[in-house]
Amino acid sequence: MSKLREKILKGDFVITAELTPPKGPETFNLIKKLEELKNVVDAVNFTDNPSAKLFMCSMAACKLSLDVGVEPVLQMTCRDRNRIAIQSDLLGAHALGIRNLLVMSGDHTIFGDHKEAKPVYDIDSSILVKVVNNLNKGLDIKGNKLNGKTEFFFGAVVNPNAEPLIPQIKRFEQKLKMGAEFFQTQMIFDLERLKRFMDFADKFNIKIIAGVVIIRNKKMLYYLSEKIPGVVVPEWLINKIEGLDEEDIKKYGMEFAYNLIKKIMDEKICHGVHIMAFSKIKEVTELLNFSKIVKMKV
Amino acid sequence: MIITKAKEDKDIEKYIGNYKRFFLIGCSECASLCGTGDDEAISIMKKWLESIEKEITGSFIAKTGCQILGTKRELSQYKEALERADCILVLSCGAGTQTITELYTEKPVIPVNDTLFIGNMSRFREFEERCRACGECFLAITGICVVTLCPKSMLNGPCGGYKEGRCEVNPERKCAWIVAYNILEKRGLLENFYQQILGPKDWSKTNSPRQYSAKRR
Repeated sequence: MSKLREKILKGDFVITAELTPPKGPETFNLIKKLEELKNVVDAVNFTDNPSAKLFMCSMAACKLSLDVGVEPVLQMTCRDRNRIAIQSDLLGAHALGIRNLLVMSGDHTIFGDHKEAKPVYDIDSSILVKVVNNLNKGLDIKGNKLNGKTEFFFGAVVNPNAEPLIPQIKRFEQKLKMGAEFFQTQMIFDLERLKRFMDFADKFNIKIIAGVVIIRNKKMLYYLSEKIPGVVVPEWLINKIEGLDEEDIKKYGMEFAYNLIKKIMDEKICHGVHIMAFSKIKEVTELLNFSKIVKMKV
Repeated sequence: MIITKAKEDKDIEKYIGNYKRFFLIGCSECASLCGTGDDEAISIMKKWLESIEKEITGSFIAKTGCQILGTKRELSQYKEALERADCILVLSCGAGTQTITELYTEKPVIPVNDTLFIGNMSRFREFEERCRACGECFLAITGICVVTLCPKSMLNGPCGGYKEGRCEVNPERKCAWIVAYNILEKRGLLENFYQQILGPKDWSKTNSPRQYSAKRR
């Protein structure tokens, strides 16, 4: 049973964090990070070879997380597996006790460390949502009966920063129609853009978790803006950061994330936040202590 | 047409090794339009071979190199020159090269070109891929081929990676789905399109090797 589902459907504000599985077989650091996140966040997302760079698979990291007692969210992309592999892996994940999924198309191999690899994209993310919906009904994507039904709480992604926005909104509606139970947004810098999207999304009574990033330094902000697909950093934020020294940026980054989360909570804009700190757990715990969000939630 | 690109001299050199005498075969169709199988390409190849002290026994440009029987007929008059050659160099696509492989099993047949894609010529000798022969054409629905023009072959709309309408993989290009979306909108097909979901695509239609008999139809 997914506690994340229980909480978010009850109307509780949820907080999730993001971890990239290890770059290699060593899991010691991952487990240490998970221990630190225990009781701090509601769930931890494990990315699926983010930016098409090779890491341990999300499924194994999710299992390690379950063993530590932290509820995992398995992220699954369409880039590396065909429909047989995707369904097979999802059934395996379910057998291991993994109940939360976040599905997406996935960054293209051209961004990664194995640029020569064949990108698969056998199905797209709308169809992947349908795949999971079918598994929950005890069917594969062909409609063949399986020997039982999975119990996944499954979400899809949406990018409120997208320009033009309407084609993105159409995809959101389509994924909803295919059965998505929640959405996680791309990282948000501009609250107005998020509100503009939520004005539309609110009509559907669907749970939305907003992506929030902790800005660490100038280099990181430029990297996000230039290298991460779909991320739009507003001009004013770049100018603001430009005028600060590195120590002040750290402080500002924390405050910025805090203010964003606080506004999202106070104004009830979304139903949760997903903190993207690129596996820097100290920053996540610092932010949550700093903002006393955990207490606010209680 | 089939787009081809001449290999680098150093790469061809690896394959021709110690062979001394060569027969060259071009193609008057796609490879001529690409400049990789026409008179000029043959003449450049001849000069280069001569510069590295190789001998040319003869050359010829097939009308349609991928047409096996026609090419066989055309080649019958070059019997002697072909026999004298140690090796046949083909200035065509991979299909044309294999016509020659089938006709001359006793001699090494070496491609001079790399075969790239099915292309449209936008300007003189500027090519771009718009169709990847997936065997199941959706152009009536999407107007442009999203299977080919979207690097993720998204069938149901854009991914979340575009910025200002530009593709995440190649920002010099418009996101194929933003273009397709505008086409759907202009044609008044948008609402209808989003009533259903396209796919999962039947990729078995691309399983190679493919065969087709138009006679059977």
